[in-house]
Amino acid sequence: MTPPPLLPRRMAGAFALGCAVLAVLPALDLSPYAHNQLTLSYVMIAGALAWNWMGGFVGQVSFGHAAMFGVGAFVAGRLMLDGLPAPLCWLAGGAVAGLFTLPVHPTLRLRGPYFSIATIGIGEVSRVVFTYWEGFTGGATGLSLPVTAVQKYQLYWWALALAAMVALASIVIRRSSFGLRLLAIKADVDAAADVGISAALYQDVMFALSGAVIGVSGGIFASYFVFIEPGDMFGFDRSIAFVLMAVIGGVGTSLGPALGAVVFVVLRTQLLASYPELHLGLYGVLVIVIILFQPLGITGLLGSLARALARRMQRRIFGRPRRTPPPAPGEA
Amino acid sequence: MTHRPCFASCPLLLALAVVSTLGACKPKSTPAADRTEIAIGATLPLTGTEARIGGYFKEGYELAFEEANQRGGLAVGGKKLAVKLTLYDDTSTQATAVSLADKLINSDKVDFLLGTYSTALVQAQSTAAEQNKVPYVNGGGAAAEIYKRGYKYVFGALSPVQLLGTTLMTWLDEQQKAGKLPKPSKIALLWENSSHGKEFRQGVAEFAAKSGGSYEIAVDESFQLNGKDFSPLLGKVKAAGTDLMLVDAHLQDYITMHRQYIDAGLCQKIVSYGARGAENDAVKALGRDNVDYVLSGVWWNAQLATTNPLAKKFVDAFKAKYAGKTPEWGQALGYEAARALFLAIEQAGAVDREAVRAKLATLKIDSLLPGGVLEFPAATGGQMQASFVVQQNMPDGTSPIIFPKDVASAAGVAPNPHCKP
Amino acid sequence: MSRFVDLTLSTVLLTGLYATMAYGLGLIYGVLRVVNLAHGGVIMTGAYLGWILYVRLGIDPYLTIPIVGAICFGLGVAMYSGLVRWLPRGAAGGPASLLLLFGVWLVLRNVAYGLFTGNDQAILTSYSTRSVAVLGLHVPLTRLVVLGIGLAIAALLHLLLRRTLVGRAIRAVAQNADSCTLVGIDVNRIYMLTFGIGTALSGIAGVLLATVFPFNPNAGAPELLKSFVVVVLGGLGSVWGIALAALVLAAAETYAVLIMPSYLTAAVGFVLLVLVLVLRPGGFFGHRILA
Repeated sequence: MTPPPLLPRRMAGAFALGCAVLAVLPALDLSPYAHNQLTLSYVMIAGALAWNWMGGFVGQVSFGHAAMFGVGAFVAGRLMLDGLPAPLCWLAGGAVAGLFTLPVHPTLRLRGPYFSIATIGIGEVSRVVFTYWEGFTGGATGLSLPVTAVQKYQLYWWALALAAMVALASIVIRRSSFGLRLLAIKADVDAAADVGISAALYQDVMFALSGAVIGVSGGIFASYFVFIEPGDMFGFDRSIAFVLMAVIGGVGTSLGPALGAVVFVVLRTQLLASYPELHLGLYGVLVIVIILFQPLGITGLLGSLARALARRMQRRIFGRPRRTPPPAPGEA
Repeated sequence: MTHRPCFASCPLLLALAVVSTLGACKPKSTPAADRTEIAIGATLPLTGTEARIGGYFKEGYELAFEEANQRGGLAVGGKKLAVKLTLYDDTSTQATAVSLADKLINSDKVDFLLGTYSTALVQAQSTAAEQNKVPYVNGGGAAAEIYKRGYKYVFGALSPVQLLGTTLMTWLDEQQKAGKLPKPSKIALLWENSSHGKEFRQGVAEFAAKSGGSYEIAVDESFQLNGKDFSPLLGKVKAAGTDLMLVDAHLQDYITMHRQYIDAGLCQKIVSYGARGAENDAVKALGRDNVDYVLSGVWWNAQLATTNPLAKKFVDAFKAKYAGKTPEWGQALGYEAARALFLAIEQAGAVDREAVRAKLATLKIDSLLPGGVLEFPAATGGQMQASFVVQQNMPDGTSPIIFPKDVASAAGVAPNPHCKP
Repeated sequence: MSRFVDLTLSTVLLTGLYATMAYGLGLIYGVLRVVNLAHGGVIMTGAYLGWILYVRLGIDPYLTIPIVGAICFGLGVAMYSGLVRWLPRGAAGGPASLLLLFGVWLVLRNVAYGLFTGNDQAILTSYSTRSVAVLGLHVPLTRLVVLGIGLAIAALLHLLLRRTLVGRAIRAVAQNADSCTLVGIDVNRIYMLTFGIGTALSGIAGVLLATVFPFNPNAGAPELLKSFVVVVLGGLGSVWGIALAALVLAAAETYAVLIMPSYLTAAVGFVLLVLVLVLRPGGFFGHRILA
């Protein structure tokens, strides 16, 4: 039996088409607001997908990804201030953020909530230390980056390219035997070790990759916002945001977190604007409802909708007599 | 995972979602002749760490808008145009403040922006205004750093925090020269690790350095916002045998720290928490006796009403609107920022961003702020430079202005008579 | 020398505070294996409840403790039976429960903003700033009371778990829920009860904190993080372990000021947290469940 191709031709074609449409979208007289929101969405899509590599694929839910996000942003920012071209700075930021995960390696032995709590610790230590480290981050004064309006406009395509690459990587990882091994680790570390999968190695690799991508998205994020400040970039809220995006979209699915990121970026701004006095609570309720009723988030919801629709179509086309309705899937 | 996500549809779905939610295409702008109102946008931290002062600014903005509309609106080019405020909550986070400013400019199509509160938020948000070339008048960004970036559309009515440090030191220096404070005085300088705190520190430190040995900074430490235990830090202050303690803190930290200060049995000749000190909330939380003789420097105080007619008008109007409540500096600065923008629009004679920007740059108007004049000098990058007013809490429960002399209503007391020598 | 004495005093007082904050989180984790991320929110709720009872009804803040405890017990029971109960148990429930309870926290925060605005509040009584002299040292009364109540709670919790039938059932469930079902213990009821007690403890911690610190709807995040550190150091679920861990954390943070800038002492606890998790995942004091 030959293994299924990592990326079937039809899927690849559709994906390329989708990206191409997005790439030419700004030509269609797109309003600057939509342009900016899309740019930010792409950055966050990359971040959320990268978080999902750890939180979803390996099952190590991190509450400290802001550390890598911030490292990437400040390394990129520093280099930009030294006059290096932006894309180079982002890559360097990503590389340093990836390396930053190496000293954190011992925490990967921990599982479940222990790992989550340890990452909270790492996130907070980074926040305090980097806020204090004025020479690098500018301390509480932060850094203002030399980004012009034109460069900011162009970020759209850079961010889209990053998001597309990360999305593609997510699909490929998920479908590869590498992804299957990650699933085995997620299901049971010890059993995975018994069949010869070195959990430590795989987790290290994924953590470094995830950190590097988060770092790159941090760098682009910094360019987008022009001004960055360590208290905000390394904040606990930012770590939580990655978790929320993945949860809303669907933890562990290959592309769900991307949807979560879009909802997070767009919905948040709209919610804040329309229901300022309720936005926190609405968020809370949304998270509660998703966790309780649809653990796969929007992806799961779309899945059950699609199935329901398919059944309906089937009935209509074949005119099957209606009997007892089948139990709705996904109901807890 | 048995689900089969439709990979291909994802990017398309995404684009569809965003485009439909945001009404993607550029709407046609309304011709100037049909215009009946001027849209002004702002965000404020109504929740999160800065919520308290954010709420003050909101009251100031609302009063300014109400007054303008009661007059029938702004007189622009021979027509009266109503002003409409679109106000969002930026939750005290920078990214949200920027995103909402972007929404205000590019989606809600506001004509001008008023600023948010707190230096970090203004610093982040003003980038969006500058890049979109929208005039941005704020009363909440104090750090001089904001105005050193060469921005052309950003105007600040709040004087730099560094001046707060300098003003306090100037008063202290007078007392030292009068022999009321030891020479040299040992200072404990504590500051919250924010740009606010850093600039306060700079103001005090530079003054001390230039004093030629009259002041020695014996403790110079930053601390974490919303700290719980300052006693080790206060222990350092005690061990260093300092005469004066100058702190820059948020209200919450002021209350916590001062309680622990009293608990530690400390009593120094002069204590100041920067801009904090006279707040009613603090008096309620610490007890009247415990805040006696605490020195504070603020951008504005309602007592200025006795010497400044505009301030009196503002205080009266504010009390009428808010059931007798006395405004603090936040409301006054919010009000003043909005008023400056309104006047610039009227003087420009058109709802035109470039014309209003040019007017703002040369604006010079009577003001309720100390000094009585509001302008955004180009030399400071568009930041107002008014003196601070120094207040001191007195045992009778008042906090009179003691400095500068032209607005002072009482003489300051130094050293703290409660302390045993 | 006096510097050393001062720091030691600070350590002891801070211990009371940290221990009080952490019991609720520790108990719930020890029995249900659920990390109550709403802990910070409940602390904030307790603070507001105590404050409102004091300001509106004039009840002494320390006497509001039973009332606040009862209300928060009810809140905890509701949270358990309405939400936490429906989560999958075991490893899969871990991250899910974290997020679920984070959602609860957001809702609590929103309610507090709606009711009380974002202003700082504080409880000021006639004795709030009074000090007592102990061995020639100024000791703030409220901090001393918090320490005392913190110790009393530890003792009561210990007695409850050790000497009562319910306590034994709780410990049994903590050790092995499946066998408990076999011997006729209603595991679900015990979980509900534990969650209620844990939440009540968090609420009480809120009242105690409110007598010492100002607070607003945003309060709770630093408390939650500190509680994590304490609970992890103490071995996730042992009463005296938590008290001891609180002492270790307080000492580390307090004495750190001697060797580093005061700002960086905030990181000390988290460094400790990560080190202990990595080096001794069972906590400093071994992994004895609710011993």
